[in-house]
Order: sequence, then structure tokens, then C-alpha cells
Amino acid sequence: MRFQDAARDARAVVYAGIQADPLVAQAAELLTTATLGQRILARAVMNGETTDPGAWRIMFPRLFDAASADDRQRAVSEAILSAALAVADRGEQVRSQVRGALVEELTARLLARRAGAAVVRRERRILFDGVRAEIHPYDVTVERESAPEAYDCKWGARGINADVLYQLDDARTHASDEDGRLVVGLVVFDAARSCQVRLDAQTAPHEATWLVSLDELDALAERPA
Amino acid sequence: MPETVQPVIDRALSAYADLVGLGESIEDEWSYVNDLAEAWNQRLAEVGELRGPEQISPAVGGAVDRAITEIGLITDPHRAIDWLSTFPQVVLLALDEAP
Repeated sequence: MRFQDAARDARAVVYAGIQADPLVAQAAELLTTATLGQRILARAVMNGETTDPGAWRIMFPRLFDAASADDRQRAVSEAILSAALAVADRGEQVRSQVRGALVEELTARLLARRAGAAVVRRERRILFDGVRAEIHPYDVTVERESAPEAYDCKWGARGINADVLYQLDDARTHASDEDGRLVVGLVVFDAARSCQVRLDAQTAPHEATWLVSLDELDALAERPA
Repeated sequence: MPETVQPVIDRALSAYADLVGLGESIEDEWSYVNDLAEAWNQRLAEVGELRGPEQISPAVGGAVDRAITEIGLITDPHRAIDWLSTFPQVVLLALDEAP
């Protein structure tokens, strides 16, 4: 089993530009240490219709009311609201791409807290002897010889589908065929309840795939699967 | 007289039903939309059963009403499906409940 950079095709070049957008890094940095409530705020605003910050403050009183949150947490919530509104302000197509890149960047940052930034890579393929390489690269990988990991990232539970589940499980199986161990995971910036509903309807193998939902993102930084 | 949890849940469920109707227009996702709706309806109803008579602050009722306004602005069924998951989380958070 070995890791390799994905081919730099036209899609990859365009997407690399989205990934390099400073707004992606800014929002990901804020969300790395955010509370669940603040992450739900980010998801709602980036999915939202309203661009009036006052409306969002009303919708999330526990994040913005002085009675519910201290000054520091209110300041973090304001920063997240501002970044999320900047994402929402993009056109629909760009907004969707930025959201996807954000989940990947957030995943990479959380994994780096546990494994170290040097071994966390983006857009990588995994090659196995005698197995045709997958076309689509893995969004985030942890490339440690002793405990490699591969993740795909989705903005919403609706992104959970047979293709991604098969790709992850196939990689895990191929690693096992080579007497190795590859942790595979699917990171979804959506509620565990919604992810489970989506997953329950899938027939593709997923029992050995680590599902990391919005509710438990911090597990990426705290423990391997 | 301060508002209680149950009427707020009732308003949220009613608005949620409209959102489900919009999401259902994506035929390929009909089952997912209804499975998702069942799961979140159940969670919201559970909060109503447990805390229905409990009084809440005007800020909490206002938060849910503003979230209802927000989903009322949605016309794109794909975005509606995204909000079928997001809206209940916003409501639960306002009520200090875990998603």
C-alpha cells in the first residue's frame, strides 16, 4: 500500500483554487475549536437564505445572549457568523465548493492535532499491488506507516452514497489483503441522526467505516478509530 | 403569560411539514426525505412530551419563530433537504437540547 498525489486534471486545478481561498482556512481555524452549537450555526448560515447577521443572532440566543454565553464565546460566535456569512455571500456554485473545501480543511486540522501536520495530506490516491487505482482521490489521509488513515468528507448526510462507501471499504479490504491496516472514515458536517438515517438506507458495506458526524468531530483530534 | 415548550414545538413541526413537502419534490430522495422527517419529528415530539408545560423565555420562542421564517424563504428543494436536517438542530439548540 502506498500513497500518491492525485492527477492534476482541470477539475483538480480549479478546486485547488477554492481550497486555497483564505476564507476556507479562516473558517476552518475557527471551527477547529468551536462548540457543537457554533458548528451548527456555521452550517445553518452557510446553508441559509438570510444574510442579515441580526436574524442569525436571534435564531441562536444561546450563542449570542450575554445571559447564556461569556464574552469570549460570544466573540468566537460572532467571528464564525461573519465567516459563514462571507461563505453564504458567494454564488450558489462557489458556496457549495467552499463548503466542501471547508469540511476537508477542518478534518485535516483536527487530524493534525492528533497525528501531527507533517503526516496529514490532501487529495491523495492509495495504490495497492495488482489493484486498479481509484479515479477519485481521498480528501484527507494520515500517512503513517504504522497506522495509515483515509477520509472522505461531505457537507451533508445526503452526500453519503454507495460510491463513497464502496471506495472506502475497498481500500480497507485491499490493505487487509496486504496484511496491513487502513482506518477509513467518512466525515460529514451534519447531525449524527441525519447521517444514520442516510446510512440505514445504504446496502454498500460500511460496518468498518468510521462515520464522524458534526456531533463528534472532535473525535478526529482525540482518538483514532 | 410566558410561553411554554409545547406550542413552540407545535409551530416548529407545522413549519417542518411544509419543508418536507418541498423536499419531496426531488423524486430520487423521496424515501430519504420521509425517513429523515420521521426521525426528526420523533425527536422534536419527544422534547414536547418531556418538557411541554415548561415555561421558556421570549428569546427561545423568538429563536424558533425566526428559524421558521428562515425556512419559509426556501424555494429550492435541494436546499430544503439540507434544512430538513438543519432546522431541527436549530430548534433543539434554542431549547437547550442535544440534537
